[in-house]
Amino acid sequence: MTSAPDVDPQPIPRSLVAAVKDLRVHFQAKAGLVHAVDGVSFEIRDGETLGLVGETGCGKSVTARSFIRLIPSPPGVYAGGEIDFWSTEARRAGQRPIDLLQIPQSEMLRIRGDRIAMIFQDPGKALNPALTIGRQVAEVFLQHRSGEILTALDPNPPALLRRAARQRSSTFERLLLKVPPWRGKMAKLTRRLDDLVAKALTETQIPNPRKIMDSYPHELSGGMKQRVLIAQALACNPDLLIADEPTTALDVTIQARILELISELQARLETSVLYISHDLSLVKEICDRVAVMYAGRIVETGTTEEIFSNPLHPYTRGLMAAVPSAAHKRGELAAIEGNVPELVEPPPSCRFSSRCPFAVEICRTTDPRAIPISEEHSVACFAYETGDPTELPVLEHWVS
Amino acid sequence: MTAVSSAAGALAETSSERSVISLRGVEKHFPIKEGAMQRVVGQVRAVDGVSFEVRPGETVGLVGESGCGKTTLGRCISGLTPTTGGKIYFRLGDEDATRLDEIEAVPEEDRNSEQRAEVERIDSGHRIDQLSGPAWRIYRRNCQVVFQDSFSSLNPRQLVKDIVGRPLRVYKEASGVELTERVVSLLESVGLGRQHLYRYPHQFSGGQRQRISIARALALDPEFIVLDEPTSALDVSVQAQILNLLHELQQERGLTYLFISHDLGVVRLMSDRIAVMYLGQVVEQGTALELFESPRHPYTEALLAANPDISSETTVMRGLPGTVPDPANPPEGCRFHTRCPVATPACGWEIDDAVGWLQTHETLLGALVDVERRSNFDATLVFQDAEAAAAVGAAMVDGEVPSAMRDALAEVATDGTRVDMSFIPIEPVRLEDVGGGHLTSCILHTPR
Amino acid sequence: MTDVIDTPLTATPVDGPVAVRVRRFLELSRQVLRNKTTLAGLIVIIAMISMAFLAPLLTTPNVPDPYQMPRDWAALNQPPGTPGHILGTTSDGGDVLYGVIWGSRVSLRLSVIVVSVTVTVGVIVGSLAGFLGGKIDEILMRIVDVFLSIPELIFALAIAAVLGPSFGNIILALSMVFWVKYARIIRGQIIHVKQNEYVDAARVTGDSRFRIFAKDVLPNSITPVMVQATLDMGSIVLVGATLSFIGLAEAGLAEWGVLVSKGQVGISTGRWWASTFPGLMIFLWALAFNLVGDGLRDVLDPKTESR
Repeated sequence: MTSAPDVDPQPIPRSLVAAVKDLRVHFQAKAGLVHAVDGVSFEIRDGETLGLVGETGCGKSVTARSFIRLIPSPPGVYAGGEIDFWSTEARRAGQRPIDLLQIPQSEMLRIRGDRIAMIFQDPGKALNPALTIGRQVAEVFLQHRSGEILTALDPNPPALLRRAARQRSSTFERLLLKVPPWRGKMAKLTRRLDDLVAKALTETQIPNPRKIMDSYPHELSGGMKQRVLIAQALACNPDLLIADEPTTALDVTIQARILELISELQARLETSVLYISHDLSLVKEICDRVAVMYAGRIVETGTTEEIFSNPLHPYTRGLMAAVPSAAHKRGELAAIEGNVPELVEPPPSCRFSSRCPFAVEICRTTDPRAIPISEEHSVACFAYETGDPTELPVLEHWVS
Repeated sequence: MTAVSSAAGALAETSSERSVISLRGVEKHFPIKEGAMQRVVGQVRAVDGVSFEVRPGETVGLVGESGCGKTTLGRCISGLTPTTGGKIYFRLGDEDATRLDEIEAVPEEDRNSEQRAEVERIDSGHRIDQLSGPAWRIYRRNCQVVFQDSFSSLNPRQLVKDIVGRPLRVYKEASGVELTERVVSLLESVGLGRQHLYRYPHQFSGGQRQRISIARALALDPEFIVLDEPTSALDVSVQAQILNLLHELQQERGLTYLFISHDLGVVRLMSDRIAVMYLGQVVEQGTALELFESPRHPYTEALLAANPDISSETTVMRGLPGTVPDPANPPEGCRFHTRCPVATPACGWEIDDAVGWLQTHETLLGALVDVERRSNFDATLVFQDAEAAAAVGAAMVDGEVPSAMRDALAEVATDGTRVDMSFIPIEPVRLEDVGGGHLTSCILHTPR
Repeated sequence: MTDVIDTPLTATPVDGPVAVRVRRFLELSRQVLRNKTTLAGLIVIIAMISMAFLAPLLTTPNVPDPYQMPRDWAALNQPPGTPGHILGTTSDGGDVLYGVIWGSRVSLRLSVIVVSVTVTVGVIVGSLAGFLGGKIDEILMRIVDVFLSIPELIFALAIAAVLGPSFGNIILALSMVFWVKYARIIRGQIIHVKQNEYVDAARVTGDSRFRIFAKDVLPNSITPVMVQATLDMGSIVLVGATLSFIGLAEAGLAEWGVLVSKGQVGISTGRWWASTFPGLMIFLWALAFNLVGDGLRDVLDPKTESR
């Protein structure tokens, strides 16, 4: 039996979109090498929303940005691990994944915006104030879909037009394109682009898409801008959407609508979502599974249901007990003492040990590993070494 | 005894205080200027008629989304911005407050000279924009602020000791070694220590900087502190520390707080009573329990529905459609009706709503040439062609416009390219008591 | 009470008030000097200023006025290397080395006086405009606009010409013209800094407007002024030399611009030294201050300063 050379002989147990394996990202700082991400592993499954939760400085943004290699280098360094990615095509063909950290830059440029898209926290900063919305959203199509658009108009497009569609015309060519019959063809191309952009904007329930396309970012509200960015991100029907705190800068009533929109589009386009947030309550509402990060490491992973009904890691527990809710009384929020440690070339240890009230000797000298408690639920804490769920230590409820 | 020192005397008495801060019809409008000559073409009505009290020892939460005016109101209360209308009273006694209520029930023109003199007396003694000299100083010392951004609220070039000790210097309360010791004790009361005296703000984390801000606010042992989103920029675990600290300090020192925030969970925890603001007005007001368990305004309900709650069982977060009206030209009726899921015909539908509806129909909007406005409720829309006018006219009568809007129309008449429309005018909304101090401005909940 | 533990990196040993300020100054200096070009510029500046101070020791001061070039009729137009005149002589026997050394004194005096005056006036005007705002801001800025509509060099030239040819008048003219940019700079900074919440916090504390200005607004607005002043120390000498070159200073003054002017006549006949050496000095002076100014700007830029 022959097999294509790049068909993975091992069966993939679940349908995965991405698998992060022992990712390490370091930053060169004055004081030394900061281990911003220090051995992070998790999976993103086909069609799910995975939440990556943690506070400032835990490394969640760095992890997210590593997927599309947005970390500036220097001072950042990809110091180890891999991010395996299966596009829908690759998955269907049973192919091996590609390692996003290793592929050449040209391939990464093809994937960015097309197979993997990202939306950021501050929509105001993600849009170019000097270009109209239409121009900006059109960029995505020009980058990734120019070939198709062109062939739909003209089965055998001449090289001149091909280059124009990919925005690679020389100055001379650009002048030439202003002359008929080229002008007519360019106009058709532009109209087709506009249609695509309008369609993308309509998908995100933006009223009056044509009017918005002619507007500049400053003329739009925060919620509207974020919709434009979502439209742009989903324009090419990516396999993975990375959302880095997309609603932090928005009012809560707008936030709810944006999240409704993301989840609707996700279901329709069958996209998987990696949702980064510091807001536990939000993550509870919209994610299928959750990974909790602290100081560059994942401390606990599981389904949303499991994590929230039965948090295991002391940090996860402390975090949940610190969120104000109806159950709390004033002055009795759980307060984890101390601060996040600086991560300059830290020795092997549990990063939370300096603040953990349950820390013992081994916590300070050895790196913890992820211990599976149930099929989905795993925790990186020495207190669960025995692994037997019935013998789980009773960590008292956090009270300040 | 001069007027000024008697005012100071009046302020110094706190025994019969009914309220630390009393707001009556407070307005803050910002002029919109245009053109080379900077003509004033309109007013942004950031705060547009707010009245409530903050009583000694309690925490009043002020909650709302961006643009509702809560931060502006906080600045007016703390004296950073002058109001453009209404009054803010400091330490209004029981008697005076009752007297004011009585007199204000009488329209201005009908008041007799005795009543006017009384108002003047009370005003000169307690209105923060009329205080001067020693009375002003009493207010200034007793009303402090903790700001949201811990980084920009501390002078980066000053040492912690100078930052926290500054109020003591300004009022000449201490100097030299005594000053240093008092600063140390302030730092210790917020969880910092002597080792932090000679450091710069950038050497601290966000939570620590916020503690420094709190220590500064406590330096003069004030009665009242305005907390403007004090934990919004902090991580959850740090926020918990700061909120616990604020509570502890309030218990120890008998502080009164105005807690401004957009975070419902935090406000619910920290407040005794809460006022919900929307577009410059308070739409609902009551105890924390009342508001969260039995809200009486659709906006409050919307906020609650949109808020992710970690302890809730349901996983449905609902948002609000539509957009906030222009604060320079807010509706005369209920300001929330443009987005309200349960709006009635009597909620204050206006010409602007009809035009707003047109915005959702590109072609019809494009055909609109002019709006001849006779009042907010009565105008003529002029279109490019009779077709568009007819389409709009028809839509208004039995088309796709919200039924509440349709029912609020008194008259629609299409004539060629012109469509006359007039809505039933209504009175401005007021906050009404629906039981035990629970106020709401929604007519669905108030008995009328 | 929840204990707050310091993060390791920010836990510096406990300093007193003086020590912490000294430490911060040293840290900034170290950052500035880390840049090689800045360091080079600083060395050149120190060398030139030393030369200026030590002028009476390095050369025999001319009598009666040391600032006038000595004339040695016996040694006209001597090339460099002539015994007694290392850098040669000018067309009326003036020692080029003497001119170079005493010229640095003149340049130092020029730049210190002009920069001090212009910074002071500019900061006062700009502060009033920026801090007080309103009508005062409008009036002052209109005055600034009037000044800005005239090219600085032409303006200074006109004033100096009217006052009469003397180096003192050049100093005066430059002081009257070059203050405007400082007004602009500090006004812009103040308007920006005023928006910070620590200014509001100071108002809530009840501090007086003047103290708020002095402690909160000014110290946080002054760094671009410092950078510009350093750069101007260099460029003012260029401008001054230009004015003296075209004859607005006393003839025979031991000043670089005058010397360049006098010596350029001889270039066509191969006598390059009389104008080249003073010209070189002008160049070095301006360059050195520019390098230091740039280095200062890189370090004091607010984005990097917060570390």
